[in-house]
Amino acid sequence: MRRTSSQLSIAGVAVILGILLVLQLRSQTAGPGLDALSAQELTDLVGNLNTRNDLLRTERAQLQVEAQQLSAAEARGETSLGQLNTDLARIEGWTGVRSVTGAGIRVTITGPVPGVVVEDLLNELRNGGAEALSVANVRLVAGSVVAGNAGAISVENTPLGNTFEVAAIGNSASLTGLLTRAGGMIAQLRATLPDVEVIVTPVERIDMPPTTRALTPSHGTPHL
Amino acid sequence: MTTVAARLRSIPSWQVTLGVALLALGFLIAAQLQSEAPRVSYTTQERVPLIGTARQLQSQQDDLKQQILNLRKQIADLESQGQGSAVQVQQLNTDLQAARVAAGLIGLHGSGLVIQLQDSTSAVPPGDNATDYLVSSKDVRMVIDLLWLAGAEAVSVNGERVTQSTALLDIGGSLLVNSAYQNQPYQVDGIGPADLYSRLSTSAAFGEFVRARGERFGIRISFAQPADITVPAYAGTINLRYARPAASRAPSAP
Repeated sequence: MRRTSSQLSIAGVAVILGILLVLQLRSQTAGPGLDALSAQELTDLVGNLNTRNDLLRTERAQLQVEAQQLSAAEARGETSLGQLNTDLARIEGWTGVRSVTGAGIRVTITGPVPGVVVEDLLNELRNGGAEALSVANVRLVAGSVVAGNAGAISVENTPLGNTFEVAAIGNSASLTGLLTRAGGMIAQLRATLPDVEVIVTPVERIDMPPTTRALTPSHGTPHL
Repeated sequence: MTTVAARLRSIPSWQVTLGVALLALGFLIAAQLQSEAPRVSYTTQERVPLIGTARQLQSQQDDLKQQILNLRKQIADLESQGQGSAVQVQQLNTDLQAARVAAGLIGLHGSGLVIQLQDSTSAVPPGDNATDYLVSSKDVRMVIDLLWLAGAEAVSVNGERVTQSTALLDIGGSLLVNSAYQNQPYQVDGIGPADLYSRLSTSAAFGEFVRARGERFGIRISFAQPADITVPAYAGTINLRYARPAASRAPSAP
């Protein structure tokens, strides 16, 4: 009788040990996911996902129209040179290999600012929907990084002086609001880098040059 | 002394086994509690429908992205089929293909490096900020930037292609990459030269990052160098609403 109860005790402890081991291993490899988000964070997430899905629906609708037009042209034995050119201009303009023009904002930065802070600012502008970005008139593309310690930063091998300008094409009102709101990027900069002055100016027209960076991959092979 | 030894010998073996098992149990319970220490667990009822909505929207997003990728493939096929004899059309199609690759609208595979970031499992000492022990969007952005600087030519985070428009945002202890929800572990894949790892690991900025985040706060940073890495195509919008592209490429563009 005593032997049975002791075996049962050991078995019970072994089961609990097993469960805890699995839990521990899972918690080591995966994050907590949605269950760890607060109601406010979940609301923000839902808002972000909604906005993004709306943009994706617009993109899908535009692509559907483009595909229908191409199909119709092909059925007629025609080639829509105009459409090919428009498609090429849109892709190259978005990527940064073609110059673009549009309304937006200019952010003038004066003072010793580290590269990571400029990267924070650029991330904020991208989050705000900036369609094209440049730093000191150097067009930013995938792979462009503003790097270096305060007072010695550069982008694409172009050193940035004590005063330089970040330009962003996009909705100037929302980009300005995003940066200058209470607790926003500018307020944070003023608190953490009091020697740095940041001025945001909405502008009606920015002419942004193309990148000089080669974007054709030399190590990666396209999945065609 | 002999009394103690005699008493130890008299303990039944099942009691010894149980004692060891209980010791291990206590250790595991402590480890489990400690690994969850920096996180907060929420149990309010309003969260349940929000979690359901978020999952539904993420699923819709995945479907939309797949549809967009399919449509882009369809358009590329249609464009390449049109009146192939015309030199102008052939050139345009070649340019379009190159532009899609440069934009990240086509997936790439090749040599490179995989870096994984995970929260620290270290106990947060009293007085320290618990969020310092968690991976943030800044950490992931830093790894992306260091990969670019080391020569990477295509990067993705948990399968989301990093483009010129990619923003990373913190949302609780998770991230939004291209507005897509991503949870840990964060896997940053970079395609680049075969010596990408040695280029990265010898950079002063990377050493500083490992010291500041890995050694100081226990952020787990791991590497892998698979023979072939795949970085998927960007499936987001490339619509320009405010920027008007020039009619033709400037001569200085590549």
